[in-house]
Amino acid sequence: MRRYLLLAIGLLLTGLYLFPLYWMYVSALKSGRELFSYPPRFIPHDIVWSVGRVFVQHNMATYLSNSFLIAGGVTVICVVLGTGAARVLVRYRSLWVDAALFAILMMQVLPSSLMVTPLFVGFSELGLLKTPRLAVVLAQVAKVMPFYIVIARASLAQIPQELEDAALVDGASRIGAFLRIILPLARNGILVTAILVFLQSFGEYVYARSMISQDSLQTATVGLSSFLGPNTSDWNGIMTYSAIYVTPILLVFVLLQRRIVSGLTAGALK
Amino acid sequence: MRGFGAFRDGRGFDITLVTLALAYLFVFAALPMLYTVVMSLQKIDMFTLGTLNRPFVGLRNYERVLHMPQAWRIARNTGIFVALSVLFQLLIGLALAMFFQQEFPGGSTLRGLFLAGWVMPALVVGAIWRWLLAGDFGVVNYLLASTGIVHNHIFWISDPHVALYSVIIANIWLGIPFNMLLLSVGLAAIPGDVYEAAAIDGAGRFSRFVFITLPLMRATLGAVVALSIIFTMQQYDLFAALTQGGPSNSSNVAQYWSWQLSFETYDISGGSVVAVLMIIVVILVAAIYVRSTRLEQRV
Repeated sequence: MRRYLLLAIGLLLTGLYLFPLYWMYVSALKSGRELFSYPPRFIPHDIVWSVGRVFVQHNMATYLSNSFLIAGGVTVICVVLGTGAARVLVRYRSLWVDAALFAILMMQVLPSSLMVTPLFVGFSELGLLKTPRLAVVLAQVAKVMPFYIVIARASLAQIPQELEDAALVDGASRIGAFLRIILPLARNGILVTAILVFLQSFGEYVYARSMISQDSLQTATVGLSSFLGPNTSDWNGIMTYSAIYVTPILLVFVLLQRRIVSGLTAGALK
Repeated sequence: MRGFGAFRDGRGFDITLVTLALAYLFVFAALPMLYTVVMSLQKIDMFTLGTLNRPFVGLRNYERVLHMPQAWRIARNTGIFVALSVLFQLLIGLALAMFFQQEFPGGSTLRGLFLAGWVMPALVVGAIWRWLLAGDFGVVNYLLASTGIVHNHIFWISDPHVALYSVIIANIWLGIPFNMLLLSVGLAAIPGDVYEAAAIDGAGRFSRFVFITLPLMRATLGAVVALSIIFTMQQYDLFAALTQGGPSNSSNVAQYWSWQLSFETYDISGGSVVAVLMIIVVILVAAIYVRSTRLEQRV
């Protein structure tokens, strides 16, 4: 009996916490009149489907594909550069390794909204702002790679060193052992970490807003903020835009929920 | 040939892998950080922005920024923003972690669902909260008014006395899942027989919490507080979505102000000054955190 009482309270707490998400979806489906009715209706009566209109009117195809490109680029660079480094930082235990980890952790804490000033000036001096999406990718990689290394390191640490040693005895090269033994075994952990990096970069805002000036290269976050002005009232449009934007993210999250939770807990406290 | 062999099979391969990643971080994180310090000491205007040859003016920029009329208000706001966010994230996160520590069907799945808040883009979270907190038609005002907590609607975004708190509320919501998750890990690490022994000795729920849970969770609590401070000081998107620091800086904080100086008023050196001061604080907190976790591991 007690177990079911706890379940009821648990459901209530989760529902309370996730209410903002529910409200986003409900508001996306409400008509203008119903949206501004007071008291607000918690279950919409006449449902309006404005997904297509908002998607076209606000150029969401362009924005979303830019976000997708940027997040994809960030993820690829992160995985290529970060995985090997994470593996080496598992293999050895020394003062140098500690120092390297410390440096990496320090890079992780630098706030993007502060780093964007020097990055912007530096990139403009180097001419990198002519390819603004690449500039955002380069900046964002520096932001998320420390996170990637720390979490990937935790899942790489679970692979016994003996497996690699055995492969080396059998005549494999270090690169061969890394690519054919370690990577396949750590595949799941690396995949989940890469997806987390992708999701974080998919919602990146400061760098895109500051470095990209051309609207056709802009990301979905900037597209959303462009109609979040001080006197905004198109809440149906904003919530529809938000719902289109985050539904894929939430789907990926629900599918991978267990793995994400275990990956984060393993890495975060090490 | 030996050099290439070492690259393929020896430590050379390992060193190359780490160096690549570290070199990247050096170029795109450490160098820009140093560049901020340099720019905070220079006179930068539209004419000198594109060149490298900019006059140094010593600490004059720092003097100028700290004498701006809004500087102290923003410093105070930053303190309030960080303190209240971290406090409530911790309290709510701990309460939820302890609740979900109990065994019941579906418990771990429900707990996992909280992380949905964590994967959302913060700008979207800000947009949703802006609508929840809307003055006339917002559902939060409706709930507060219908339960009799307030009589007049609160204008969360436009009232200078509460604008900062609307961002704090959204930020607490955003930080709860991460706090809860890390605290759950800490709670799970406490062996169950410690509680059983205490219960046999007649310790009640409250004294078990004060004398067992809190002391054994000290390391975790420290780590969680440090990480929350760091994440809270990174928060920019919520300000952009909710208040843009307004009305008239009443909800502005340092990390948003730095961006405004650089990108809205084109005062690059002013923005750099705020960035340098803020980065010093962030790095101090992070260094204390890393040091304490390292010490903890050695014990």
